[in-house]
Amino acid sequence: MRAKEFEKRKNKGANALYIAACCLFLILTLGPFVWAFIVSVTPEYEMFTNTLKMLPGEMTWGNYVELLDMESRYSLRFTQGMLNSVKAVAITLIIGLPVAVLTAYALSAMKFKGRAFIKYGLLITMVIPVFATIIPLFRIYSTHRLLDKSFWLSLVYVSSFLPMNTWLMSNYFASIPRELYEAARVDGCGYMTCFFKVILPVSYPIIAASALIMFLSSWGQYQIPLILASSAATKPVSIVTSEFMTKDTIFYGVTAAGGLLAILPPALMALLFRKYLINGMMQGSVKG
Amino acid sequence: MRKLYNKILPYILLLPMMILMIALVYYPIAVTFSYSFKRMKLTRPDDIEFIGLKNYIDVLRSEDFLYSLQNTVFLLIVVVILTTVFGFAVALILNREHRLSGLFLAIAILPWAMPPIVNGIIWKFIFFPGYGFVNKLLIALGIAEKPIDWISDRFLLLTVVSIVTAWRSAPFCGIVCLAGLKTIPKELYEAAAIDGCGTLSSFRYITLPLSLPFIGIGMTSASVTAVNIFDEIVALAGFSDTGKNLLIQNYLTTFSFLDFGKGSALTYVIMLLTSAIGVFYLRSLNKEITY
Repeated sequence: MRAKEFEKRKNKGANALYIAACCLFLILTLGPFVWAFIVSVTPEYEMFTNTLKMLPGEMTWGNYVELLDMESRYSLRFTQGMLNSVKAVAITLIIGLPVAVLTAYALSAMKFKGRAFIKYGLLITMVIPVFATIIPLFRIYSTHRLLDKSFWLSLVYVSSFLPMNTWLMSNYFASIPRELYEAARVDGCGYMTCFFKVILPVSYPIIAASALIMFLSSWGQYQIPLILASSAATKPVSIVTSEFMTKDTIFYGVTAAGGLLAILPPALMALLFRKYLINGMMQGSVKG
Repeated sequence: MRKLYNKILPYILLLPMMILMIALVYYPIAVTFSYSFKRMKLTRPDDIEFIGLKNYIDVLRSEDFLYSLQNTVFLLIVVVILTTVFGFAVALILNREHRLSGLFLAIAILPWAMPPIVNGIIWKFIFFPGYGFVNKLLIALGIAEKPIDWISDRFLLLTVVSIVTAWRSAPFCGIVCLAGLKTIPKELYEAAAIDGCGTLSSFRYITLPLSLPFIGIGMTSASVTAVNIFDEIVALAGFSDTGKNLLIQNYLTTFSFLDFGKGSALTYVIMLLTSAIGVFYLRSLNKEITY
């Protein structure tokens, strides 16, 4: 009887602790977004008043209008930046996904000379800093007039995302039961028919996860385009937003609004397809 | 015929990857190495000459190198600690199933989806040197008397950068740890409860030791993130000298002062320093976990 009472009280204590931890988690995770939103709807004249008030006296949507209304000086640069980001992401996915799938299939399902060498040669590039490749690339690109071209920028993205994505996919392919392969081989399927008929249909979760990871990583690029694609026609929205803060006379409201709009696409994608994303990430940590 | 086809097929499939990697990764890395032994400034394009180890000696002797190395090490240590602690805490929160756990998981991955530069921008409003959120809070609570300048003090700035980066990298660590927690068999906890283990001791003797390999993966990935911090520093403090780490120093040398020779040498020094982390990273990727 006493033990039960004690158990109950202990559970209550643990529950309270859990709820407190959850609240803290929510505040710390969502807080920055909320604050950026508050800044983005604060009128410029209220921004620098030395007040301890957390909320502005009045709300304004002016900064968002400024960014999206096609007439203003910000909106042209901002919308162009958004389009550039979309373009770079699209090219990266169109080239990167097929290349990653083929590479992963070859590395996981086939036996051939030099397999381990090629695999580790690819994986090791995951930890090589960007600068190791970007210094000559900048020079090569500038002599061949490839700077400020979305296509060539995206190729660099692909080469830096390939190892991670290939690795995720080949783990997944390796976890597909061997019987499936063998059944197909007995039926007289070659490697390629087997690939299209057996592997691809069951691999959509990892391909979706990989597509999402590529989307998020190319959307978030800053260093590479800063060096290889810094003209107005190609620079992504991440650079445009950061310039609102550094180059121009500083308008914090516009910067905050721009930042929030710039994370809308990746945040939406991550939320909509979170099932694949989380499974893919878990797949990556629990080796299949 | 068929046999030959099967023999060359893997190489055909690997061809696109090989072309991309050779052209955009392996070849440039080799070229960077050759640059690092040359006097090579883009401001003086005709004056390119082999100078042996001079670039390396100049880099290692410069005060900027020591200063930015210290900053990198500071960031590495603090970011890894913060990421691991918060990541594991997030995993523990998410591991409990209830009505809101789906929503919590969705919220938890949001920071991870953030472009790092925008992450820095958003946090700049929180640690704004004037009346930003944290300063307002500290003054209202009576902890500070006047706004704290977060940006111009070296270690204050580095601490802020660490917090901001850890905020972005904790979700990945958390998801990895969550994957680990989910693999722990429920029977273990039941057996421990029968043996009279309380919540704390089953955490100490079951949860923690069995999650260690996953915490290890989270930590290595956090250290790769930490040595590669660039965007957050630029967003919070620009390319100023106060908060520069090795990467910023490398960027300034190469693309501001256009000294490609010295920049390449610095790149190779950084690669050498970080290769230890790289080895750990690759190992953690290939780890098998058994119970």
